[in-house]
Amino acid sequence: MNAQRQAGWQLTGFVCIIAGLLICSPARGDEAFITEQTGDAVSVLDLSSKQVVAHIPVSGKPAGVAMAPDGKTAFVTSTEGKFVTLIDTDARTIRAQIAMPDTPLGIAADPSGRFVYVAGFYLPRLYKIDVAARTIAGSVEIGASPSGVAVTPDGALIVTADRDDNQISLIDAKSFTRIGTVKTGTHPFGVTIDEKGERAYTANVESDDISVIDLKSRKLLGTVPSGKRPYAVALAKGRGFATDQYGGTVSVFDLATLKPVKRISVGEYPEGIEASADGTKVYAVNWFSNDVWAIDSGTLNVTAKMPVGDGPRAFGIFLRKTPAAAGNLHNPSG
Amino acid sequence: MSGVFQKSLPGAAALFALALSAAAWAHGPSRQKITEAVEINAPPAKVWAAIGDFHDMSWLPGVTKTTGDGGNEPDTAKRQLVLENGATIDESLYKYDAAGMTYSYRIDKVDVKVLPVTNYSATLVVSPGEGGKSKVEWRGAFYRGYPNNNPPPELNDEAALKAVGKVYRAGLENLKKKVEAAK
Repeated sequence: MNAQRQAGWQLTGFVCIIAGLLICSPARGDEAFITEQTGDAVSVLDLSSKQVVAHIPVSGKPAGVAMAPDGKTAFVTSTEGKFVTLIDTDARTIRAQIAMPDTPLGIAADPSGRFVYVAGFYLPRLYKIDVAARTIAGSVEIGASPSGVAVTPDGALIVTADRDDNQISLIDAKSFTRIGTVKTGTHPFGVTIDEKGERAYTANVESDDISVIDLKSRKLLGTVPSGKRPYAVALAKGRGFATDQYGGTVSVFDLATLKPVKRISVGEYPEGIEASADGTKVYAVNWFSNDVWAIDSGTLNVTAKMPVGDGPRAFGIFLRKTPAAAGNLHNPSG
Repeated sequence: MSGVFQKSLPGAAALFALALSAAAWAHGPSRQKITEAVEINAPPAKVWAAIGDFHDMSWLPGVTKTTGDGGNEPDTAKRQLVLENGATIDESLYKYDAAGMTYSYRIDKVDVKVLPVTNYSATLVVSPGEGGKSKVEWRGAFYRGYPNNNPPPELNDEAALKAVGKVYRAGLENLKKKVEAAK
């Protein structure tokens, strides 16, 4: 499981009381908010029915995505449009857009829900957005071509993958200053922090491997070989899952031994990848073949292939847990 | 056939210098993709025989010579295409599946004046069509020629898509002609 998601989505046990305004619908599954960079849209994929249930036009080539802890807002970076879009996940509408001073790519939500952190690709800086005020509250210099961004579950530490400097930067969230860097493999792109906030995993595009970093000691713990051009890493059931863009595979490795377990064939140019909240499934988003594949994280079998729109990247945290146990509360206008 | 690959454009030298200086940054953040396909009236095995050798690009108009080594071994094989205008494209093989009739390669080095792309990779795949025919797909993934913000028109996303599409269509049309004539 990804740390960014950990602190959120505790809103289980909704009660359906406001008749006429809100209704109870049959249980649905979790939803995936898939950025479709070529198609200029965000598709909402219901992972239970395996259907796209909403298609939200978002201009400017959307790529990065983060989910608010309460699941009510998805944050999307548009790389060409240079803005961050706030999507109302229930209403499936755009709530706001925040202009950025640089091309935004990686994005991560602070577990408290107050901030989102956005990497500016060229300048390069990490920006802190005040979600309520919808303003940039600060920025800090990081390494070259920063790509992935992740936050520890306690919200104290932000990690960026500084692709062209072959390192991660560690940023203290409170002071919003960079407190260290750790060298990785060549061209780290996606970065993922585990649920305990102990380790960071980077997918290194050029060296075809995964760097495993201990965040406390700020040391490289190990390196795991992957398929070709790994993009991002998901964590589930004691295993890591890396999307290999050129390989067309998901490389599975053991988190304890840091040894490869298996390579699973998926669609073409897999990019975004994330584990479900319960850890039973891993979803890989295939940029070229325009689909999302589900992998059973126990058996490592592919269990579903779900078509989406053109050029899906879903770089970041794209899953939203939908309260499902006693039926789902949602706005009928959505 | 000439004109499949681009010639030098007026003012392109200056732009190219700019692009080179930014090349250390690798590429911008919006990757492009394209798929071109053709139906060929011949069995897949026959079509694969015409394109399955990584070191034979004689079916692509504009290519006068292919040199290289490493056979069809992924991560080993490298080839250089020599074009009619003397320009070259260096490529390497990273996936090869004879049974699946597909291979994937990437461009290691090309002048953006010749093909205005960076970080280019592509796949050729032959599959069975209807009535014993074949379908050939050429799929490309790449970034525009100018890796930074605000690309000049010659090196923007549209220019990259247009240039690659033109090469693919010319190649597939010529392949169809060649294979169907060889009956």
